[in-house]
Amino acid sequence: MLRAPAEIKYADELDYLESIDTGFKPFSWRLSPRMVRIFVLGSERSDGLDREIPQKWFGDRSFVERSIVTLASDRGLLLIGDPGTGKSWLAELLAAAISRNSTLVVQGTAGTTEDHIKYSWNVSMVIAKGQSRESMIPSPIMTAMERGVIGRFEELTRSTSDVQDALISILSEKYVSIPELDDDNIVFAQPGFSIIATANSRDRGVNDLSSALKRRFNFVRIPVVTNKKSEAEIVRFRTAELLRRHQIDLELPPTLLDILLQSFADLRAAAASATGEDEKLESALSTAEQIGVLEDAILHSRFFGDSTLKAATLAGSLVGSLARRSPEDLAILNKYLHGVVEPRSKQDEGGSWKEFLDGGRNAIATLS
Amino acid sequence: MSPFDPLREQLASAAAAFGDGLVDDVEQALKTDVEIFPVCHHSPASALAMVRRLREKQPKVIYLELCEDLRPVLEELRNCRLPVALQAFASDIDGFPPDWAPLSVIAPITESSAEYQAIAYALDTPGVEIVLVDRSVDHVFQWEPRAGAAADVGIEIGDLRPGFAALEEHLLHHGKVRHWSEWWDQYVEQPLSGADYATYRQVMVLIGSLFRRLNPQGNEVDEDRERYMWTRMREHLAATGTDPAQCLYVCGAFHAASPVLDERLDISPRTATTWLYGLIPASHSAIEEQFGLAPGSVSIAAATWSKSVRRSGLTPYKLGGKSTRTDLPPSAPGETEDRLSGFLTQPPSLDGFDEAELLGWCVEIVRLARRNGYLASTADAIAVYETSILLAGMRNRKRPTPYDFQDAAVTCIEKDVVPGRRDVRRLCEILLGGDKIGQVGYDSLPPLARDVLDRLQPLGLDLEKRTIQRALIDLDAHPELEPCSHLLWILRRLLPGDAVRPIMGSRRLGERSHQESWDLAIGRNQRSIIELGYEGVTIEQVLEQRLRRACWDEKATAATALDAVEDAILYLGSRRLTEELGARAVELLAGERTVDDAPDVLRRIRRLLAHHRAVEPELPAWAKSFVTTGYAHYCTLLPTAFVEEETGVRQVGAMLGFLFTMESLALSLGCDRAQLELAVQQSHPEAPAKVALLWTARFQLGLLSMAELRERVGELLGNPLVVPSVPQYVSGFVQALESAPALAPFVVEVLSRAFGQLPDSVLLPWLPKLITTLRDQAPELVPVLVREAGRTFPALLADVDSFTPPWLARAPRKAVARPASGPVSELLAVHHETGAAVAELLGCAAVPVAGPSGEVAALLAAHPQTGEAVAGVLTAG
Repeated sequence: MLRAPAEIKYADELDYLESIDTGFKPFSWRLSPRMVRIFVLGSERSDGLDREIPQKWFGDRSFVERSIVTLASDRGLLLIGDPGTGKSWLAELLAAAISRNSTLVVQGTAGTTEDHIKYSWNVSMVIAKGQSRESMIPSPIMTAMERGVIGRFEELTRSTSDVQDALISILSEKYVSIPELDDDNIVFAQPGFSIIATANSRDRGVNDLSSALKRRFNFVRIPVVTNKKSEAEIVRFRTAELLRRHQIDLELPPTLLDILLQSFADLRAAAASATGEDEKLESALSTAEQIGVLEDAILHSRFFGDSTLKAATLAGSLVGSLARRSPEDLAILNKYLHGVVEPRSKQDEGGSWKEFLDGGRNAIATLS
Repeated sequence: MSPFDPLREQLASAAAAFGDGLVDDVEQALKTDVEIFPVCHHSPASALAMVRRLREKQPKVIYLELCEDLRPVLEELRNCRLPVALQAFASDIDGFPPDWAPLSVIAPITESSAEYQAIAYALDTPGVEIVLVDRSVDHVFQWEPRAGAAADVGIEIGDLRPGFAALEEHLLHHGKVRHWSEWWDQYVEQPLSGADYATYRQVMVLIGSLFRRLNPQGNEVDEDRERYMWTRMREHLAATGTDPAQCLYVCGAFHAASPVLDERLDISPRTATTWLYGLIPASHSAIEEQFGLAPGSVSIAAATWSKSVRRSGLTPYKLGGKSTRTDLPPSAPGETEDRLSGFLTQPPSLDGFDEAELLGWCVEIVRLARRNGYLASTADAIAVYETSILLAGMRNRKRPTPYDFQDAAVTCIEKDVVPGRRDVRRLCEILLGGDKIGQVGYDSLPPLARDVLDRLQPLGLDLEKRTIQRALIDLDAHPELEPCSHLLWILRRLLPGDAVRPIMGSRRLGERSHQESWDLAIGRNQRSIIELGYEGVTIEQVLEQRLRRACWDEKATAATALDAVEDAILYLGSRRLTEELGARAVELLAGERTVDDAPDVLRRIRRLLAHHRAVEPELPAWAKSFVTTGYAHYCTLLPTAFVEEETGVRQVGAMLGFLFTMESLALSLGCDRAQLELAVQQSHPEAPAKVALLWTARFQLGLLSMAELRERVGELLGNPLVVPSVPQYVSGFVQALESAPALAPFVVEVLSRAFGQLPDSVLLPWLPKLITTLRDQAPELVPVLVREAGRTFPALLADVDSFTPPWLARAPRKAVARPASGPVSELLAVHHETGAAVAELLGCAAVPVAGPSGEVAALLAAHPQTGEAVAGVLTAG
């Protein structure tokens, strides 16, 4: 499997936690809220567990607590934030921990229809046998309702407002009626059903949520990680996972990680002080993009380099991933390289900044 | 799992590292003959234990960890609304590095602090003495490391926050809380709120000891402070012969667990710095900032305090309140028992879950949210309630704390956008008490502040209010308000930014407003006014001192002194002071070796002279002396200023301006013109702009005629090697306007010629620079130029064609071929042979006069009636 869902990947951890869990479990939850928190945020010595549970999502503890508590109440959870802040990952972890199933996902797009969140029909079976529960294809959300587990809705604000409106009745009445059937025509949600939706704050205004739907969700805003220490932690964690997946044996020098974090921090500071859209990179400069840059650089040096990661390769990947608009993004990156990196490379004689600068220059020259 | 598991774990590892040290500390602290009362600042649990202990023990003497020289200010607390802060302030410092000034120490006091309870008890109970034993504010700075700058030091009374970040992070991480205040609340405050005195004392010392031992380095200053306090206590006990058993020593828990208990220190004498003491208003948010606490924590502490007071049935001490004696029976002085083991091994008996309180909060937050634009409803109140309880459960708390409630409210009510000015988190802070701002009562204000309030009385405004008050003063209808207006102008000069803001009306030399309107935020800026009180007894005295200080400062220049003179005339009207400051200005001018300030000096002295000429028959002595000194001074410096590279054109222009515009006055006062002539002759500038200035100076002196000047400019423009530097010459000429306004037509001429003749490569880069320089350096010269240009150039488009600049008027006019029209041209067109013959006779090339031709002619020929009709209309019109 290229990428196993969280409940399979961490199956033994979940089994272990379930076996020692003595806390109160709401509805049909597989773990108590406190254990869900331990699963997501990792264990402490003071939790008194026999084995260590590693941290899987990095961010403020209170976000996770608020999310878990929301799922235990009768409101849906809406994770909102910039792209790449780990919203979907948190949603997946929560669904895996609470109901051992994180795959009941509806992806919100402009083409999502009401059928995708309610049900549709197996046309050939309808022709053969007529409309019945057998010939009905339940949506992931409806499946989640029937089983009393967590359903997920990705990119809620990308879907059109009629689709969003269909969610209102699911979230408030907690049933879906099937008017085509004469009997057995209502699917009731079992206890434990809830929805974790994610929304991209950059998409605001595309399909704004109605206030009726907003009321039925608790919003948890996930900010871009700006704390350097926890960001380094995230990048290291995700990269280790990637390297394992690609079976790459590559040393990641800590100085290069520092360079990557520092350059993102600089670019973020530049974006924060920019006055117009043209002075800002199009990218949100999230942690996920850092990981993307690093992954690109690692793969590049693995397949086309001498299997050691060099600062120049990193710079090339950085420019390649962040330069989306020509000439605006290129101009910003050029300004960054010459205004910030160059003085730094002069200060830091013999360090990797010099190489980083050269790599960046080359990449920009190739692109422009 | 109990909420103390994390703490227990802490203690286990600490115990392994420190052995029995912690317990020894506790034991030692409990054994002293003077009873030690360990406190934590702004901790309701401390305050409650204090009230209980005071009611029980009724001590005769209270020793308090607070700067000993702040004692007299304590009495003034009676007149204040808390929170306020005790302040010690010194601007004239002696014995400290001069760049430390002004020094200030601030010790805020809130009602929910144990210290305030002790102070209120001691001041309001007859026969009880309160003795402040901590080092004086002077020693605070004496013991400060000399390298670092000291600004606005906050005294941390009984602060109990681990001194190093790593420990704090560790505690927060394992305690699963967000910030220090929450940790303290959950692990110390709440378990201790119902504890008996012995437990309270032992636990506080234990925690103090823990923090102390975790960070054994860098405690030297604290140890010295502890020795200081014990020395003072012993001195007091020896002097008064009080029984130590009748005393209570209130200090931070950190100091209670001291390794130097009951040791002595040789106290060094204070420096010669004069300290002034007073009260300033403080606020919860200011305290949070000063001590690095989480926003809202002091407000939450205040709310917890009033709740615990209500529930415990205790009457707290309050200064100025009616003393209702509800003394508790003295408890039997028992042996010291070990209360720690019990406390640390058993879950605390927390007070139960207060459902009504939480419900109240939930309803209230929804109401507040709705008022601030949120679409919140009763359903949200229910959700907040449920979420608070769930969150508290998840965080191992029996009942939701305000922090849980805040998180729950944010989760349930906050959506993607904040509709109004305040977000839900802020609304929760407001709900839980909000920022409380103290006020210093009228009677405790320094004389200056009282005087200000008294003198503004006629305005009929309540200036103690914290809102902005609008004062409307009609000076024509109510001349009796003149003094108020005058005072407001002085306050405007002395107070920061927005404290006193004129909306209408102005005060400048020679101006008087008929009506004024003011925005007064005096109540909000009480602190600034109180701090003015440290400088003098009346506002006029403060201003006078400031003006003097400005003039006698090391960095003072003639320009600053003139500024001070102007302020003295405007605000103080004291002839003696004006005379004195003016004399100082003369002195400063004579001593100046640079002319950097010349433009400022020129502007100010012009204004002052104009003022004196308008109001007095004769100039004051200082002004005469200033002009004569200035004349001689600038004459002397002129040759060097012309040559020196550092001196700008503007400065030289201003010097010449001074010399030429004040010339008649200076000569009448006995100066000699030859001095100026010599100075100009000695000047040999090289920079083009200064050369231009010199030419104008020579023109002014009659050494150069206008024709020569023109010629020189013509040469400049004609010489291709000099052309690139012409703009600099032009800027020199513009600066010359300062000294010779009569040159304006010439400057316009030069500018026009430059615009007309300079090649684009020189002209275009120069234009923007010209505009910015004019705006920056010579804003007052621009109108002169514009007016002159308006006079020179035609105003209407139609006149442009026939315009001849005045400087070309005398030049031979060139014949310009112009298409003629009207009857003459018709005549010529008809008899053009005659014209050609005359032209031939005169030797000119024949000018063909064209008749209508081509298509037009054909058209006219085809429709003659149209043409005739048009002609008819025209002639009829």
